Amino acid sequence: MSCGDGGSGDGSSLTVYSGRTEDLIGPLLEQFSNETGIDVEVRYGDSAELALLLQTEGSSSPADVFISQSPGALGLLAGEGMLAELPDDLTGRVSEGFAGSDHTWVGITGRVRVLVYNKDLVDPADLPQTVLDLAKDAYSGRVAVAPTNGSFQDFVTAMRSELGDQVTVEWLEGLAANQSPNYPKNSAIVEAVARGEVEMGLVNHYYNLRALEADPALASVNYFFPADDVGSLVIVTGGSVLASSDSQSAGEQLLAWLLSEDVQATFVTETQEYSLLPGAGRPEGVPELSGFAADTIDYDVLGGGLTATIEIIRESGIER
Amino acid sequence: MLLVGLVFLGPLAYVVWRNVELGTDLVAVIWDRETLEPLVRSLWLASTVAVSSAVVGTALAWLTVRSDLPARRFWKLLAPLPLVFPSFVGATALIAGFAPGGLAEELLSVVGGGSVPDVRGFRGAWLVLTLFTYPYVYLPVAARLAALPPSLEESSRLLGRSPFGVFRSVVLPQTAPAVWAGSLVVFLYAVSDFGAVALLGYDTLAEQVYADRLFNQPRAMGLSLVLAVVALIVIAGERAYERRHRVSELAARSAHPLIVPLGRWRPVAFAGVLVFLGSALIGPLAVFGFWAWRGVTSTSTSVGVATDFGDLLVPTLHSAQAGLITAVVAIAALLPLAWAIARYRSRRAGVANAMVAAGFALPGVVVALSLVFWVIDTPGVSIWYQTMPLLITAYVLHFGTLASRVTRVAVEAVPAQLGEAASTLGARRIRRFLTVELPLMMPGLLAGGGLVLLSTMKELPITLLLAPIGFDTLATKIWGAGEAGALAQGALASLLLVALSAVLTWAVVVRRIEEF
Repeated sequence: MSCGDGGSGDGSSLTVYSGRTEDLIGPLLEQFSNETGIDVEVRYGDSAELALLLQTEGSSSPADVFISQSPGALGLLAGEGMLAELPDDLTGRVSEGFAGSDHTWVGITGRVRVLVYNKDLVDPADLPQTVLDLAKDAYSGRVAVAPTNGSFQDFVTAMRSELGDQVTVEWLEGLAANQSPNYPKNSAIVEAVARGEVEMGLVNHYYNLRALEADPALASVNYFFPADDVGSLVIVTGGSVLASSDSQSAGEQLLAWLLSEDVQATFVTETQEYSLLPGAGRPEGVPELSGFAADTIDYDVLGGGLTATIEIIRESGIER
Repeated sequence: MLLVGLVFLGPLAYVVWRNVELGTDLVAVIWDRETLEPLVRSLWLASTVAVSSAVVGTALAWLTVRSDLPARRFWKLLAPLPLVFPSFVGATALIAGFAPGGLAEELLSVVGGGSVPDVRGFRGAWLVLTLFTYPYVYLPVAARLAALPPSLEESSRLLGRSPFGVFRSVVLPQTAPAVWAGSLVVFLYAVSDFGAVALLGYDTLAEQVYADRLFNQPRAMGLSLVLAVVALIVIAGERAYERRHRVSELAARSAHPLIVPLGRWRPVAFAGVLVFLGSALIGPLAVFGFWAWRGVTSTSTSVGVATDFGDLLVPTLHSAQAGLITAVVAIAALLPLAWAIARYRSRRAGVANAMVAAGFALPGVVVALSLVFWVIDTPGVSIWYQTMPLLITAYVLHFGTLASRVTRVAVEAVPAQLGEAASTLGARRIRRFLTVELPLMMPGLLAGGGLVLLSTMKELPITLLLAPIGFDTLATKIWGAGEAGALAQGALASLLLVALSAVLTWAVVVRRIEEF
């Protein structure tokens, strides 16, 4: 199999590797295919594993477009020179800061870090004003974390770039000393908080919104940190075109379509994520997208700095 | 056969190459508290799970094949099935049932309260892995028991031995190789599993590989090598032990294996089986049934409760297709190897056997990436990239040891003289194999095929990375639903996976083991 996907020339077909699951993007890709006549084939998988696959495939990859759930996986591939530079009118569609500074990827949707808590167990007056407070004794044993999860790692990387390694390490060691319960992923934390197994947990905002859809009686509530706190970091999902693709323009067309107003509105209502377009609406019951992320966090640091972040997280002892 | 061995070398050679390429400082990676502690935990967990699975798997096999346990055909159908739960699914069900605030606590509070044991950490990981891997022991032992000539036991009994004495002096030595083979597989599986240990918060080496796979690749690859070396050491140790302790085994065609009356132990045995299979199978099914039922009866279209049965039909066919083809190919590819090891004790075959085992101890992602690495730019084979033949090859590389170990036990149980006798009677070699030896090995081969079948149907990372685009299986659907928070749809897919496994293991494995 040579470069691209063996389709008959540019624009007629696209192969997409998608870290977003089929439920969350499949129908949209089908709609794109119907509207444009471009045939879209999709391989779904875990973002990190698809990034590993792309890295191993190298320039022979059949993929034209990579859609990732986390900026870290995009940063890794960008660092290896595997992503094509996108045109300015594409990266310029989203608010500033939500595209790679080297223009190799563009944000598609945003998720906000929150503290999910059990309303039967936690007095709202006890909620912290900053995520840094969670390392204090008062929160000992009460806050669940997912230290091996990509979102948590992205968050810690942001904290390092914002507050420096020393503050970050002290915060992690505080959480470790607090014996903060460990979970492998966000959804497991939300379930545990809803059951009352643990009082609070650091997660992305939409997991609890979906859990409440399935069962509105759940006791779990999202708490958004103040907008100027690093705790309210925005984590983007992003799209990129592979440098090895011979369907570059069709790939760019797909990304532009995903950033069109109609499709962005679908993300807001269907998957309850934030749109990254300037002035776009937002999911019901969530605060405005502001504060951290926009132009304060350099997402490229998130990619390149993740190896060190993982090391720092591990050495803090929080995983034990 | 050498070629088969060479293909099996692929994953391990890739890991070694990556370590060289990335310049991994192996000493620094291994000689580190953050590596050694998880390594000790991995070994401790794998050893304890192997022992408990050996006990439970053997006991269940004997009860369902050789005793007058009530409803024994029913139990025989259910006993292999827990293997098909992906371990993360099993752990999810256990947590939903037994974690603080879970279903069990709710039930207890109705009857007046009480505390539920904590399922996190070592205890939970040990429990989940035992509940969902004991079939690795159960199936080969059941097959062995079905092929054991009743005359041995009858004569032992005529010599005045008690039923327990017969079990200890005849049945146990004759089934020991099957128990060993199964326990070893359990050990290797427990070392490589990360789904259950991650959810239950028991930090093992495999979980570290998972956490490091993207952003600390030198360490992830170094640790993968450690996992493979652990597998090789265990296999070498087993072979050394085997050379010194060898029982002569016997197999015979017998339509009616000896059934031992349990007498007053009958209700006790029944209760035991009920509680165990209740936890391993019926409990998780009840949890999924509850979620799926809540979805099917709900009118809401939100992602948490939406169900779409039609969306699962094609994946069901795909799962069956992948599992059956892989099982047949694995047995066909590994029978010659098993034969060579059992009959000729060839050293080269022994090395090949260790390679096959290493493919099982490496995480699935690593096996998949190794095939990408070897195939994508290689002239002649690159056209197979992300096609069914490559996918099946990857499954066989990962699960081949399930077939080879059990197959070997089957080969060893066929008396070599039998073939020779037939040979002097003039039967030609191939005919002799087909008419004399193959039928005698059949229960063992089917058991091995059954293990491959069930393991393939739950496989995830290899399927996601290497399947042809659009080749969804029930396992990928369960995973996708989990990622999207589609609880009801995931539960429905899990129920379908168990139902499919029940049909296939009954039609292809359990029923036929009895026929031969």
